[in-house]
Amino acid sequence: MATKKRNFSETEGTNASRDVESDSEEFPSLNISDDSEVEGEQNADDVSDAESIASVPSLEGVNSSDLEELSSDNESLKLTDEDDNIEYVRGADGKLRPIYPEIEPYYSSDDSDREDVNPIGNIPITAYDKFPHIGYNIDGKRIMRPATKSAIDAMLESIELPKGWTGLVDKNTGENLNLSKEEMDLIERVQKGMLPNDNINPFEDQLEWFSNTNPEIMPLSSRNEPKRRFVQSKHEAKQVMKLVRAIREGKLSLKPKDDTIDDDDRQMMLSKKLYDVWEKEEAVVNRMHLQAPKLPPPTHEESYNPPKEYLFTEEEKAKWEATDPEDRETNFIPQAFGALRKVPGYANALRERFERCLDLYLAPRARNKRVNIDPDSLIPDLPSPDELRPFPIRCSTTYIGHEGRVRTLSIDSTGEYLATGGEDGTVRVWDVLTGRELWKLDLLKEDTYLSEQASLESANHNSTDHIDQVQWHPKTLLLTVAAGDNIYLLVPSVLQSIEVENEAHDMIEKGWTYHAANLKNIESKVNVDDANLDEDNEDEAKAKRKQYAEWTKPPARLLSKGCNIVIRCTKRVKHVNWHSRGDYFVSTQPDGQNASVLVHQLSKHSTQCPFKKSKGLIQNAKFHPYKPHLYVASQRYVRIYNLANQSLLKKLLPGVKWLSNFDIHPQGDNVITSSYDLRVTWHDLELSDRPYKTLRYHDRAVRDVKFHPKLPLFCSGSDDGTVNVLHDTVYDDTLKNPLLVPLKILKGHKITGGLGVIEVAWHPREAWLFTAGGDGTARLWTT
Amino acid sequence: MVKKRASKGGYVTRTQAVRYLQVSLADFRRLCILKGIYPRDLTGKTKKKVQKGSTKPITAYYRKDIQYLAHEPILNKFREHKIFARKLSRAIGRGDLDNAKRIDRNRPRYTLDHIIKERYPTFVDALGDLDDALSTLFLFAMMPANDKVTNRVTADAERLTTEWMAYIAREHLLKKVFVSIKGVYYQATVKGQDITWVVPHKFPQNVPSDIDFRIMLTFLEFYTTLTHFVLYKLYTEANLIYPPSINLKRENGVGGIGSFILQSSKSDVLSKPSKISESESNSNLNSKSNSKSNSKSNSKPGKSGKIEISKALAADKNQAEDSTNESDEESEEETNLDEFSAAAEGGDLLLQPKFGDEEHLFSGMTFFVGREVPLDLVEFVVLSQGGSVISESALDELIDNEDENVSNHAKVEVDLSKVTHQICDRPALRNAVVGRIYVQPQWLFDSVNSSKVLDHSAYAPGESLPPHLSPWGDRGVYNPEEDEEDEDVEVAEDDEEEVEDVAEDVVEAEDLADEAEAEAEAEAEAETKSKNKSKSQTKPKKNAQKEKPKQLKRKSDEEKELRKTMMSKKQRVLYDKIQGGIDKEEERKNTLRKKRQQLKN
Repeated sequence: MATKKRNFSETEGTNASRDVESDSEEFPSLNISDDSEVEGEQNADDVSDAESIASVPSLEGVNSSDLEELSSDNESLKLTDEDDNIEYVRGADGKLRPIYPEIEPYYSSDDSDREDVNPIGNIPITAYDKFPHIGYNIDGKRIMRPATKSAIDAMLESIELPKGWTGLVDKNTGENLNLSKEEMDLIERVQKGMLPNDNINPFEDQLEWFSNTNPEIMPLSSRNEPKRRFVQSKHEAKQVMKLVRAIREGKLSLKPKDDTIDDDDRQMMLSKKLYDVWEKEEAVVNRMHLQAPKLPPPTHEESYNPPKEYLFTEEEKAKWEATDPEDRETNFIPQAFGALRKVPGYANALRERFERCLDLYLAPRARNKRVNIDPDSLIPDLPSPDELRPFPIRCSTTYIGHEGRVRTLSIDSTGEYLATGGEDGTVRVWDVLTGRELWKLDLLKEDTYLSEQASLESANHNSTDHIDQVQWHPKTLLLTVAAGDNIYLLVPSVLQSIEVENEAHDMIEKGWTYHAANLKNIESKVNVDDANLDEDNEDEAKAKRKQYAEWTKPPARLLSKGCNIVIRCTKRVKHVNWHSRGDYFVSTQPDGQNASVLVHQLSKHSTQCPFKKSKGLIQNAKFHPYKPHLYVASQRYVRIYNLANQSLLKKLLPGVKWLSNFDIHPQGDNVITSSYDLRVTWHDLELSDRPYKTLRYHDRAVRDVKFHPKLPLFCSGSDDGTVNVLHDTVYDDTLKNPLLVPLKILKGHKITGGLGVIEVAWHPREAWLFTAGGDGTARLWTT
Repeated sequence: MVKKRASKGGYVTRTQAVRYLQVSLADFRRLCILKGIYPRDLTGKTKKKVQKGSTKPITAYYRKDIQYLAHEPILNKFREHKIFARKLSRAIGRGDLDNAKRIDRNRPRYTLDHIIKERYPTFVDALGDLDDALSTLFLFAMMPANDKVTNRVTADAERLTTEWMAYIAREHLLKKVFVSIKGVYYQATVKGQDITWVVPHKFPQNVPSDIDFRIMLTFLEFYTTLTHFVLYKLYTEANLIYPPSINLKRENGVGGIGSFILQSSKSDVLSKPSKISESESNSNLNSKSNSKSNSKSNSKPGKSGKIEISKALAADKNQAEDSTNESDEESEEETNLDEFSAAAEGGDLLLQPKFGDEEHLFSGMTFFVGREVPLDLVEFVVLSQGGSVISESALDELIDNEDENVSNHAKVEVDLSKVTHQICDRPALRNAVVGRIYVQPQWLFDSVNSSKVLDHSAYAPGESLPPHLSPWGDRGVYNPEEDEEDEDVEVAEDDEEEVEDVAEDVVEAEDLADEAEAEAEAEAEAETKSKNKSKSQTKPKKNAQKEKPKQLKRKSDEEKELRKTMMSKKQRVLYDKIQGGIDKEEERKNTLRKKRQQLKN
């Protein structure tokens, strides 16, 4: 029963048929036939059922009078075959038709459940319309058509339709098929798709086997009843409420979607949807967002009728066409059309707009600080040079006489005599103020030794034919000249007073006695006094020293010219610099390996080599003004040695490729260097090894730098033919940085053979400057 | 995914961004265009970090921008669109057209209004970015429709641009006009924002093959929406109905801003112009009989509250109705002006202090525009300056229509008595009408730019025109209009200076470049007073005066040169850069001056 309940909706039809079967007993009118037969036919379907039912009355209901009539008719035509008991009866077509005797089939099986139906099969009943019978039974006998009603009966029936009239003919019987009221109801119900049986209740109370709220009698599992079984779903409620709300707010339209919206109508829709976007304005500051810059507005050049000067000349046009489109200043050629009507379309309009579009979304944007400052404000604010007088301004005297370049010059301690040395091999002494040549010595010619050497090694020593350095003794009128491998100590005989001259001669001569007498003691004394940094063995040192330099008497001709001593070194001497007290001087020989720097003592006629190892290409070496320090400039560095301790004090790193020269401030705390790579560096020894300031104002290599011995001035001379004079105030306060002010650029020397100003020298007291130039002149610059 | 936490920094590369958003590059581009996201310029450490040491150029985006893109609703629409396109192509491929139609009908649609609000939080922001929008729209309005650019797009652009021009003209906001070889530049000041746009000359645009229209159209899509909303706001604030209705007759004819009927949404105006509408219908009756298209347009208007901004059509009124029409026109003008003052209350008053409420540059002038003159250009300029326009081409059309239909009326007769000026662009003038001033179109533009009505004699037809100068001036510092006398002196001085430079040591005692203004004035006076006097007389005096300052200048120059030597390298580079720019400008100025001088001689 339960299964039936569950799927009743699906199988209504079949149920209906079953109901018919099960309830067929309740149709009394159909019960005419054998009861037991009907009861047993549980499996037969409706149609056969009905047929069987119908067939029964047809057999029974044969009219007796009709049968008699038919038989009498048959007898008249009867021809009998005696043997076979075959009767011949004339058939409807007039032919004889044998009628065989009844065969006794002797059925062994019980056919009591046989149906008395008309087994007509698929042949329509109308096929028998012409015949008196309506089919054959299993015995092959005719089943005769039931007798038709009389005309009156037919008339009566036509007047009043009997109950259950269907107008159909029963197939089995050939009679009218009448249905009872119950049958009609049944059919009606089936047609309506209702349950055929009225008595069945399709909505019977459910027997809750598993979902029963009451505890089951035999529970399948011991699990508790889940909550969802007896609580309404919140989720569903939410979904519903969502829809309800959407409907209320008009978001969800219950109307079907308008199918006619086309893409072309989108604009119309948009225009319908227009509203004031900025109704509630709120300024949002997005710091990271940069608005795209606007395009620059058009200028006069773009006009269809510009001023004539904007139009391109032939060259400008050619230049415009030659330049790359990206590098052009304007992306069009200015054109003049006399009138508006002559203006043609612009071919690149679309392209330019496209490029703008690309810029808008592809070009990175950055907030560049616009340098909208007066360029003059970048120039450092310095005191005016006028406030820092005196300094040299103009060239007052030119010393002309040298053939070839003037390589070197020096001013004596009194400031009266200027000594110069040139590439012509002469040393000259000039009167400073007048520019008159007072004294001249052609060293090349006079020094036979030199010429001998030159002739011996003529191939190698081409460069020995010029004077490399002249340097006055800081106190007396003694002149040191470096030429070739030799250092000459001279006393030029130009001086008014013989005493002064003699004093200088004496100073030189004194050493000879010392030299001769204490030749052995020298070494020990040297060790005490001076710095012989690499003293290993006394004998070896002695031998070496003798190698380095030899103090000799000059040839007679030189002697007569005032030269007292020639120090013959092994390599070419480039620089000679005196200690401020005037006893020692240091010479540099760049090719001399470890003997590049030699320290000479005038009073003892001795020479020492302070270094054991080569320190690179030595450019220059100088003594500290008052401390026992030696400054040595190599190609890259300036090293400061303490001679007393025989130790390296400091190594300055100017950060240049090739130093040319350097100078020490008279107070000793600052050093300036010049370099061939155009720079002048200022080192404050208190601060750091690196330069305090690197100045780059020369266009060519800087040859020389010099501090003024008294005044706060320094200058640098360069191959570009200029001398820059700068003011430098060095404060006693160590916290204060030196003040550097450029004062003047002195122009005058001409560049000859790539050389401009080779050496500079300051007057000992005045702010006067002497320069030696590559153009063969020396100049005096005064205030 | 941007997975590396280590490279978290503020920036991501484009590839990272595309992967993070999981869109195609094309979609990413579109998104960037619509949202206004642009790459950033990285320098120094940041660049190294983002590039991971590589030196090849990359595009880097601000990380937050990309995150912001990830939340964009349109991003999902793009994805939906991808699916949609796939479905559609499949349906079409199967020949299932019904299904394809259905799919196409349900295509994902999106709107851009929220992006506009995001990108331009205030209305002023939006106006500030309208330059590019307008220029693009004007360009597309002029584009030929092809397979990439549909005619709907161009029609939209045209409509929007005309609406914009109609608004500007009605509110008299136009400030500058400049006819360049690239097109016509306009500048209008709307709510304090200077908006500059360029309108290409009316010729078919040259369409190069290498232009990516997907990008252009994405921009156009955004700009169209932006302009729509901006126009809506502007129209609404000016108490106008947006979108304005169109006078179809005019639209089909000469077109232009005159075809837009700006209707006021104000009720008090509504009551007034019953008379106008009457006259309008009268005039239309006239033309109704003339052409079929008119009957169409006739049915459309007829309601009250209509104010036509263009009076061009005033020309096609019948002589018989002349008097009434004129009065109508005046009343139209009055209402127009009333309207304007109402709008001015909203805040335009401050922007236009020069002209009062009723005075504009061309107020009271009527321009007859010859058919050889581009009407849209001239009409816009004249209307926005308060003038009125009668166009010859509109009349032509009217007559043509009449001829076609063989009207029973007499020929159209036009009231040309009010015409004060005729804009004419012909080499020679024939049959001049007495009482009219004949000018070339440039007269209008130059007048607008100088904001005064210029003397028309130089602009007569056939005359060679004075140069048309840009109201935005020169690219550099050169001024083509500078006083000629000054120029002469300065050019001469420049030459002298050059001489000085060559001969260094020679101390010169001639006049200096930087002279005191007073001296210059005195000099000029002296020259004007006695031109007959020989120059030799004045010269030594001059020299004596100027010797001293020149020396001073040289000295200061020298000092400057010296001080420059003390600059650090960084400063020097910067100085050279700035000074180089200045010097270049100066050089350009001098060459232009010289050229001008040569041309004069």
